[in-house]
Amino acid sequence: MTQAAASLGREQARVMRTPKSVDIDITDRCNLRCRYCYFFSSSADVKDLPQEEWLKFFEELNRCAVTAACLAGGEPFIRDDLKDILAGIVRNRMRFSILSNGTLINDDIAAFIASTRRCDYVQVSIDGSIPITHDSFRGKGSFYKAVEGIRCLQRNKVAVAVRVTIHRQNVHDLENIAKLLLEDIGLPAFSTNSAGYMGLCQKNTEQVQLSTEDRHLAMTTLLKLIKKYGERINAAAGPLAEARGWREMEEARRRGLESLPGRGTLVGCGCTFDKIAVRADGVIVPCNMLSHIELGRINTDSLADIWQNHEALWKIRERRAIPLSRFDFCRGCDYIHYCTGNCPALAYSLLGEVDHPSPDACLRKYLAEGGKLAEEAAD
Amino acid sequence: MAEDKPVVNPSVILREEFDDWAVLFDPDTAEGYALNPVGVLIWKHLDGSRTVDEVVGVVKVNCEDVPPEVADHCREFIADLVKQGLAGYEVAK
Repeated sequence: MTQAAASLGREQARVMRTPKSVDIDITDRCNLRCRYCYFFSSSADVKDLPQEEWLKFFEELNRCAVTAACLAGGEPFIRDDLKDILAGIVRNRMRFSILSNGTLINDDIAAFIASTRRCDYVQVSIDGSIPITHDSFRGKGSFYKAVEGIRCLQRNKVAVAVRVTIHRQNVHDLENIAKLLLEDIGLPAFSTNSAGYMGLCQKNTEQVQLSTEDRHLAMTTLLKLIKKYGERINAAAGPLAEARGWREMEEARRRGLESLPGRGTLVGCGCTFDKIAVRADGVIVPCNMLSHIELGRINTDSLADIWQNHEALWKIRERRAIPLSRFDFCRGCDYIHYCTGNCPALAYSLLGEVDHPSPDACLRKYLAEGGKLAEEAAD
Repeated sequence: MAEDKPVVNPSVILREEFDDWAVLFDPDTAEGYALNPVGVLIWKHLDGSRTVDEVVGVVKVNCEDVPPEVADHCREFIADLVKQGLAGYEVAK
């Protein structure tokens, strides 16, 4: 691998020596089967590793000076040995975060998490203000359990992050969701996303994914809520991020700017410059959502060597140099010099190609399908 | 004797990069501190076996264009590490 990397003339100084953090699918198991879960029916849907394998891997992460591990799955709290797993992370000088559906959190584990003093946050998914909305795709009874999970974390003074995945059944409930989370439960903030065409969502897309009209409604509502709650509602992807990004692109087009800085190529993902991921079976992958790209195996292959030299990882990093003008999909687009090409994982799940712009977050496509920018709607 | 032989906090992570700079990361506070290459050199010699004067000697031997006030700079740097909880002195049992 080293020779391959060198032959391509890659300037390794551009990346860190080792990943700063690692996203770990700590289990393949989950007590729910949410209809838009990206995990199940994907390449990440594999068998669990025993605890010993993880503990040994954490020692390598320590040697690599990795500072944080994010545990996901599957549902991390389904593991009976989660305390031992977390203790192993702490012992190896890392901080951690956990992504959860919230339904299996109790005072015992919340108190343990608090006692480590190394937890950045536990993220719980809340998709509705009332059970019928939240449970529509997550299963009956999951709303009350998830809210109790949040209360449990709060009682034990564990930082709670909430992610709201927007879909067809909750797009009309966003104002009530914001009130529930920010006023009634008293969270400092929450983040939003939307159900993407991955995993189980691919089978349920008609029921789950936002239509063009839904998307417009979500963007408009979220921008309205921002006026009320400010930065307490945020997003790295999904309707709120699109509303902001697309407004910026439209403004650039109106002003006739030649380009926006750092745009016009496939720059939509910077994850592989500071983190890497591991599947539940111990296979190292670039990202949990690009879990079909196998880079090696924990406790067998060197993480540092993979990070610095693996050709497949460099290929993803080097997407950033691929101009959007290379793609028929982008040809003639007024926004081509303002666009990032968006998420490579969504490009792969939609088109089977990583090195391609994702049609999912394409502004031209959205407008062609009758979509309106949220700014216009607000006016 | 341990009182004048500083030692790094073993919980703190040194993340070295290809340009010889580094970041100290304290997982207990989630705070990061940038180190220049001389800071990295000093950090690596805070092993509890050397006095501050001996660490200064290491800097003089390994660095070019060392300024006359290097001893004061090293003392200030180490004192700052101790103040931030990134280093300390072993306590005799």
